[in-house]
Amino acid sequence: MKTDLVRLEIFKHLFASIPEEMGAVLQRASFSPNIKERRDFSCALFDAQGEMIAQAAHIPVHLGAMPLSVQAAIRALEFAEGDMVILNDPYQGGTHLPDITLIAPIFHAGDLVGFAANRAHHADVGGMAPGSMPIAHELVQEGLILPPTKLYAGGELQQGVWDIILRNTRSPWERAGDLRAQVAANRRGVERFAALIAAQGLETVQHYSAALLAYTERMTRTLIAAIPDGAYRFEDYLDGDGVEERPIKIAVAIEIKGDQATVDFAGSDPQAKGSVNAVYAITLSTVYYVFRCLVDSEVPNNTGSLRAIQVLAPEGSVVNARPPAPVAGGNVETSQRIVDVLLGALAAALPERIPAASQGTMNNTLIGGWDPARQRPYTYYETIGGGMGARPGADGPSAIHSHMTNTLNTPAEAMEYAYPIRVTRYEIREDSGGAGEFRGGDGLRRDLLLLADATASLLSERRSGQPYGLAGGEPGRSGRNLLLRGGDEIELPSKGEVELKAGDVLSIRTPGGGGWGRAPK
Amino acid sequence: MRIGIDTGGTFTDFVVFDPESKHIETFKVLSTPQDPAAAILEGLGRPEGQSARDLVHGSTVATNALLERKGARTALVTTAGFRDVLHIGRQNRPALYDFFADPPAPLVPRQHRLEVAERIDYRGEVVTPLDKAAIEALIAHCRTHEIEAVAVSTLFAFANPAHEQAIAERFRAAGFPVSASHDILPEFREYERTSTTVVNAYVSPVMGRYLGRLETALPADRLQVMQSNGGMIGPQQAASEAVRCILSGPAGGLVGAQAVAAAAGFDKVLTFDMGGTSTDVALIDGAPRSTSDASIGGLPVNVPMLSIHTVGSGGGSIAFRDPGGGLQVGPQSAGADPGPACYGRGELPTVTDANLLLGRIRPELFFGGQMALDTARAERAFNGLAAELGIPPEEAHLGVFQIVNAHMARALRVISVQQGQDPRDYTLLAFGGAGGLHAVELARELGMPRVLVPRQAATLSALGMLLADATKDYSRTVMLPGATEFTDVQAAIAPLIAQGQADLAAEGFAAGEIRIEASADIRYAGQSFELNIAFGESLLADFHAAHQAAYGYQDPQAQVEIVNLRVRAIGLVEAPQLPTFTKTKVNLEEALIGRYPVRFAEGEVETPFYAGERLGTGAAFQGPAIVVRADTTILVGAQDRAEVDEYLNLQISVGPA
Repeated sequence: MKTDLVRLEIFKHLFASIPEEMGAVLQRASFSPNIKERRDFSCALFDAQGEMIAQAAHIPVHLGAMPLSVQAAIRALEFAEGDMVILNDPYQGGTHLPDITLIAPIFHAGDLVGFAANRAHHADVGGMAPGSMPIAHELVQEGLILPPTKLYAGGELQQGVWDIILRNTRSPWERAGDLRAQVAANRRGVERFAALIAAQGLETVQHYSAALLAYTERMTRTLIAAIPDGAYRFEDYLDGDGVEERPIKIAVAIEIKGDQATVDFAGSDPQAKGSVNAVYAITLSTVYYVFRCLVDSEVPNNTGSLRAIQVLAPEGSVVNARPPAPVAGGNVETSQRIVDVLLGALAAALPERIPAASQGTMNNTLIGGWDPARQRPYTYYETIGGGMGARPGADGPSAIHSHMTNTLNTPAEAMEYAYPIRVTRYEIREDSGGAGEFRGGDGLRRDLLLLADATASLLSERRSGQPYGLAGGEPGRSGRNLLLRGGDEIELPSKGEVELKAGDVLSIRTPGGGGWGRAPK
Repeated sequence: MRIGIDTGGTFTDFVVFDPESKHIETFKVLSTPQDPAAAILEGLGRPEGQSARDLVHGSTVATNALLERKGARTALVTTAGFRDVLHIGRQNRPALYDFFADPPAPLVPRQHRLEVAERIDYRGEVVTPLDKAAIEALIAHCRTHEIEAVAVSTLFAFANPAHEQAIAERFRAAGFPVSASHDILPEFREYERTSTTVVNAYVSPVMGRYLGRLETALPADRLQVMQSNGGMIGPQQAASEAVRCILSGPAGGLVGAQAVAAAAGFDKVLTFDMGGTSTDVALIDGAPRSTSDASIGGLPVNVPMLSIHTVGSGGGSIAFRDPGGGLQVGPQSAGADPGPACYGRGELPTVTDANLLLGRIRPELFFGGQMALDTARAERAFNGLAAELGIPPEEAHLGVFQIVNAHMARALRVISVQQGQDPRDYTLLAFGGAGGLHAVELARELGMPRVLVPRQAATLSALGMLLADATKDYSRTVMLPGATEFTDVQAAIAPLIAQGQADLAAEGFAAGEIRIEASADIRYAGQSFELNIAFGESLLADFHAAHQAAYGYQDPQAQVEIVNLRVRAIGLVEAPQLPTFTKTKVNLEEALIGRYPVRFAEGEVETPFYAGERLGTGAAFQGPAIVVRADTTILVGAQDRAEVDEYLNLQISVGPA
């Protein structure tokens, strides 16, 4: 079949509208503030080989990782019509345990023709601490591990699987609602893809899904060809892993040769004892994200872009962990540092297009305990924005999520209705952005007053390190985690668990972005 | 005499209804963007007799003040520790994959975001008393900086407005116009409530000056203003709550569309209003849908408004080759300046140029022949694009037309399929300048059986204003458990109903002319998105059923929360009947302008062009054909059959692909 340029563009819209619609269903039907208010989820559509055809623009860190989920399901299972696979095993298609992925095979005339999949961050999947991002030493401590498993087989709910999942979380009513919403979203995706095939014919749909993958590959190759050939290196450090107090190095060499890029993380530190380890899927996602930002914004979100880029990450390193290493922070913290090193390397090649380092953390804050007013346990999870790095030609925005996440905050008023927590301060952290010709964005301060005793887990970064500046710009200020108790100000570690008493205030101060260019004297 | 007046970018439209004779008259005056009142006063210049006229106005003054950032110099007073909520928003960035995209700047800079010590909790109980003494310093700050409007938004003011009221009172006493969040949007979620309140403070003084000028110039007439929710309000309320009028004009279009469609016998309609730079689409299922979570120019404006989805594609959208060798259309637009290449100034190929080169627009017939089109210039623009793409120019013309239709089809899917509605059950109602050329192909693509192009396609918004009732919206977050006794829920909504009745009575509506629509936003406890359910004793059962219908499951055992109560009070006005025309013997040849070659996907076809105003009721013809009206052109495909109905609408039965 010959590819018609006009139909190619039309199919781009047809494919893209399916995950968009899945996302609308998932957001509206889900239960937890984390998914509904904060929109911590992604939806995508795949071909029969597990290549991603389209993804709705949701959460970047899910981007490169979702195809590996589908491929893991393909390796592990045989599919029948009406099946729905569930998984979160970071070593079999997942990234970290709270991200639960549901995958539905799509059949046409008895043949497997594709998959609809979605991933949502669940506020609790069991493990050592509320929120399932504890300071762990091995994966099994982080929560319930789900290898690729059928939640539905031939349309029938596997009640045993369902019960096991709900029995292993601190908030089963919420998990049940969110999982049902995920099922509904995938069903919508399956229906819509089947309808598209009925309308256009299978051969045409397959031809144009392949053509769009090739198109994105061409777009990416055009971009890479415009980067001067050469090897660009950079390295930066994580503050630590929460177990051992020492910085952890991430190193990268990006080699550009014609229209092909090789991204090699050789020289990065071995996997850590604590949970900052990233599985390969995370590392792939960050590379995908960085190159995606440099390509035209209208290009479809599919895996074609990765064909022009080879990603090498040493096995057993902090950027390609092996079992049984804990991984909760790899997804939410290390991913941000991997972006920092990729951008640091590319700044030498494309100085006019690369921003200085952004806050470089998601400031994961998890609080759980017993809610005396509502007489039930609760788990609160939130990530907090900070300063974005200054851009060549523009200051960095303040108080905003950068790079690998874009989740919404929980409104102070929604917090009080849901949890025994009162927000007492939520403001821009003045002068935390790095100085420069263009200033880095300022971080945030968020103060939470505990109305009942609780346990908090903190998983944050750039508490000792600082987001770098570029072209002579100053670094942004480090973040701080403080406990305000009585009149005391107690400095908390970047990662750790802390027992909180009613009346305590947990005060999170997030990092500023780096500056760009020398500050005027 | 009732007159609907819609200010548009090019024309200000007037639709005049005489209740005695039931006669409707329509005319247009060139708009005066620097001073929109001038065009209105010109149009109204000759009052017929001395009796007072009822004017209903759709104004772009509030919209433009917001979008062009020309509102009042505004200050915000808020709870200590929360002045940056307005800047932080929901902390998300506007574009995922763009390092250079910036969120919209807040309407109030940090220096004028003022804090006062106070705190109320979610139960409405005072945690920190209001520091009244501190208010004087804030007033001094506002005087020093010549602040023109003040927004007050404190946490949980909807649960207990005492602090906001005290602050507002002091500022009003000091001479400042004040917008308080418990008045404007008494609902939870502080950013959205604060943003809506600030937008109101920012645009209301501009609206107030504008309406004041109109009222002064028209002392004998009664002025009403169209709101975004499809109803009208009086000028005092419009001047103090201008945020309710942000989508004034488009809302009129939807009300007009609903009336025209209903008269023609269709209650399920997708509206399609394609302009030069953007296109509005909306779903009408008996009535237009409403939303309470809209955003305008990137800022949340959560007062109820008709649900309208806008995409950045229109007749002026530019076609180009991307680095991957693909053909794309928009979102860059040639706009009105330089405009499409054929307008004589632009160099880049647009959708309008494609329509011209496909023969669907005749240069000598465009805008009644008043605007010369440069075909050679359009050709040059397209030849350049085709060469870059390595395809024949003819393929590029048709391709651009088809691609922009794909954008439109996606927009129509968002408002239909994504909401669980099947477009095949709907009629496509096209209005606006550029819609008629795209409507049948779009309907075909979506499997829609019919296209309706109203007789009033070019003045539908002004017609809608004539048809609008007086509408007032009230709401309050109550967060009641589902187990609450129904009588207690009734008691909670009763003050809202009483307020609505009193406000309409004050505007002169008799009890029999007032209709109350009560509803509740309900969710399962723990969810953070609510479904709006009509108020009644079966509230909870209806919620479970609605959840089943919307999301495919329900859980009657789960805890339910009644989040917001809503009341809409409607003052009914006498709406004009649309005039009908009896069938006459139609001689199509009399309406024929000529036959010209038009290109379709199947090839070039000699196609009749008919003059729209000469097609009377009963005129019917098989496509291909093109109907030319003074302000719009309508394409009928070879598979389609068109008929002029008794209202002089063009109804097109859309054939299969």
